Amino acid sequence: MNEEQFKAIFELTGYRQQDFSVCLGCKICASVCTVNDLSPSVNPQDILLSLFLGHEVNSDHALVHYCTNCYRCTNACPWGIRIPEVIRALRESLALESTFERAFKGSLKIWGRVYEPYIFMKTGVFLLKEGYLKYMPKWTEYMSFHLPHGVRRLSSQGGPSDSKGRL
Amino acid sequence: MNILVIGGGISGISAAKVALRGGHDVTVIECTSEPGGLMARIANCRVGFKTFFDEITDKPRLTVIRDARIAKVEKRENIFTIILEDGQSIRADRVIVAAGLSPYDPVEYKGKRVLTSLEYDAVIDQRNGDLPADFEKIGFFLCVGSRSKEYPLCSSVCCSYTLREVKWTLQRAKPEITVFYNDLRFFGQEFLMEKAYRDAGVRFVRANSRYFEEDDDGVTVRYFAGGDLKEERFNYVVLAIGLRPSPELERLSGLFGFSRDQFGFAVEKEPLKTDAEGVYVAGGSIEPMSIKDAILTGFGAAVRAVGDGGRHLSEPLEGKVYTEIPADLPDIDKSHASYLFYLGTEDPWMKMFYEYVSGRFIALARELRLLGKTVCVVSRNMVVPSYGEIEYEKARREGVVFLHLEEEDSITFLENEARIARKDRETVLAIDKVIRFDDYLRLFDGKDFLIQFRSEPQLRWSPTKWSREKYHTGFIRYPRAERWARREFYGALGEILLDVEEERVLPEVSEDRCSGCGSCKDACPHDAIEMEMREQQVALFGPNVVSGASIAHVKEGSCVGCGLCAATCPSHVISYPM
Repeated sequence: MNEEQFKAIFELTGYRQQDFSVCLGCKICASVCTVNDLSPSVNPQDILLSLFLGHEVNSDHALVHYCTNCYRCTNACPWGIRIPEVIRALRESLALESTFERAFKGSLKIWGRVYEPYIFMKTGVFLLKEGYLKYMPKWTEYMSFHLPHGVRRLSSQGGPSDSKGRL
Repeated sequence: MNILVIGGGISGISAAKVALRGGHDVTVIECTSEPGGLMARIANCRVGFKTFFDEITDKPRLTVIRDARIAKVEKRENIFTIILEDGQSIRADRVIVAAGLSPYDPVEYKGKRVLTSLEYDAVIDQRNGDLPADFEKIGFFLCVGSRSKEYPLCSSVCCSYTLREVKWTLQRAKPEITVFYNDLRFFGQEFLMEKAYRDAGVRFVRANSRYFEEDDDGVTVRYFAGGDLKEERFNYVVLAIGLRPSPELERLSGLFGFSRDQFGFAVEKEPLKTDAEGVYVAGGSIEPMSIKDAILTGFGAAVRAVGDGGRHLSEPLEGKVYTEIPADLPDIDKSHASYLFYLGTEDPWMKMFYEYVSGRFIALARELRLLGKTVCVVSRNMVVPSYGEIEYEKARREGVVFLHLEEEDSITFLENEARIARKDRETVLAIDKVIRFDDYLRLFDGKDFLIQFRSEPQLRWSPTKWSREKYHTGFIRYPRAERWARREFYGALGEILLDVEEERVLPEVSEDRCSGCGSCKDACPHDAIEMEMREQQVALFGPNVVSGASIAHVKEGSCVGCGLCAATCPSHVISYPM
C-alpha cells in the first residue's frame, strides 16, 4: 500500500493506518459476510490486517470485487469497524469502480445531488456499448415472461382459487 | 463501630463476616428479596453461598435488610446517616460498597435455542428436572458483550465460567461440545481442566461468530476457521455474556460521592478504598472478578474499613503475611530492529503463568515500540483479564502487531525469521530477536506458588492460606497484574482474622521410637512437621560417642489435626491421644 491509497482511505472513512490495529481477530465479520455465500474463503479481517501491516491488497480479492455494502460485518463487529467503507475506498484507489459509480460520485461532487443529464453524458457510451445492447437478448427473454399469454398460462394451472391464491 | 455493607452478594457477605469477627455491628442492605447476588444464580454455587452465609445468619450483631434501597445519605463528622426508601434510617461509621456486577443482555441474538450462559445454567440445573430431549450438540461462544467498542474491558470470568458449564454438562450428559473463543483466559489450574476436557473430546476453535440462524430443532452457525467458512448445526448455542458494573453503582456514587471511571467501576484511590472518606469497595464494584477474588476483596475491604480508624493492625497479624517481589528478565538487548514475542506453550502446568507473562510481554512490547522498533506478538492465548485488556488495546493502537495462532497453526523459528504455518498458506516474518514464553519460565523456577498447591475449592474459601502460620499474597500466591498484590495483602489479613482457633487434637510423637525417616513431613499438607536434630548416644559401652539424629516434631501453630502423618508413619510412632 502506498501513501496515496491510505490517503484515499482516510478521506472516505476517517481511518488511518494505525486505526486498523483495533481489530481483535475474532473473525465475526467473516461469519456473517454475505460474500462468503459466493466464495467461501473471504475473511474481511485479512484485509484489515494487511492494511495495518501496509501490505498490498490484491485487486482480485473476492471481497474487493463482490462486497455488497450490506454492513452486516459492521453491525456484528465488536469494535464496529466500518469495513464496507474501507472496501469502497479500496475499490476507488484500485480503480475498480464501474462507470456508473464514477458518474454518480462525480455528480454528487459537483451538484451535491444526482443530476441525470451529467450521468447520462458520462455513462451513455458505456450503456449503449456494454449495457443495453450486450444484454438485449436476455432482456427480451425476461420481458416475455410478462406477456399476456404467459400470464394466462400460469393462472390457469392452479385450478379455482380466489384473488390471494387460497383454495 | 457500625459497618454498613451495600450489597448482599458474595463479596458483601465476606466483608460482613470479617467485620463481625472483628466485633463490630454490621448492617447488610440487599436490594432483592434474598442475599446471593450473581453467585446464587449459578446452580452449582447456590449451596456454597448458602453455607457461607448461614455461618453468620445467627450472629446477633448482624442485621440484614432485604428489599431495601437507599434514598438519601447524610454525612456529619465522619458518621453516615443513611435513610432508606421506606423511611428507616441507619447510622454507620464506615460503608463498604459491594454492588456487584450485572450481566449483559444480548437481546439481538437471544432466542429459544440461543441462550445466555446464565439461562443455560438453568437448563443444566438439577433442580429443574431432566435435560431437554435433543441435547446432542452444544456450542459455546465467548466474549459476547465484552471486549467491544462500547465496553472495552474483558469480563475475565466468562472463560472460566464456560469451562465450569462444560464440566457440569458433562457430569449430566455426553453431548458433543464445541467452544468458540478469542482467547482462553483461565486462571491457574483451570488450564489443567481445559487439557482434561480437550482429551475428553471437547473441541476448542479459535474463532467467533454472530451468525445464528435458529429454527425449530436447532441453530445453524457459520464460523470462519482454518481459512474457510464452515457451517454447523447445534442443538443449543450458549453465549458467554460479559459482566458490566451494576446500574446501582451509578446511583451509589452520586449518594456517597465516590468517583467512577469511564467504564463505570469505582475508582480505587488506595487499595479497596474509594476517594470518598469512609467508603470502601469490594468485589464486582472494582472490576469484573471471579468468586475467589470477590471473597478476597470482601475480606480485604472489611479489614481496611475496620482498621482505618486509627487502630493499627497488630504486628503478629502482618507478620504472617508472606509475599515476594517478582524478578524480571535481565535487560533485553534493545539494539535490534525487530522483535518477536511468542506466547505459547503446550504444558498446562506452565500455562498458569500466561497471565503474568502476557502482561509483561505487552509492557515490554510497548516499551520497544516507543523506541521505534518493529514489534510483533504471536500468541496462542493472550491472557489479559479485565483492565489488562486496556493495556492490550493501547499496545495495539501504538502499532504492536498481534498475530493469533489458531489451533492447527504452528510456528517455527529459524535464524532471523519466523515461519507461521497455516492450513492454506505460510507467513514468513523477518525477525532479529525472538523472546519466548519459555525464557520467562525461569523466573518461576523453584518457587512454591500457592495456586499450584491448593485445589480450586480450597482456594475459594481460603484464598491466601498456605498454612496456619503463613499466608501467601501477591506474586507468590498467583503471578498476575500488580494491582492485585495490595488487595491480596488486605484480603490475607481478613482471612487471618477469620481463622479462629478451632478445637483440634494434635498428634503426639513418641520420640524414643522415631527413626527420623521424614515420611510424615512429606505427607503433611500444611507444612506442620519439621525434623529436629536430637543428640543421641550411639554406643552403650566404650567411648562416649554422641551423634545427631532427626526426630519429627509437630508445630502447633500450623497443624490442623488432619491425621495424615499418623496414617503415613511406617512405625506407628505418631498417634492421637485417645
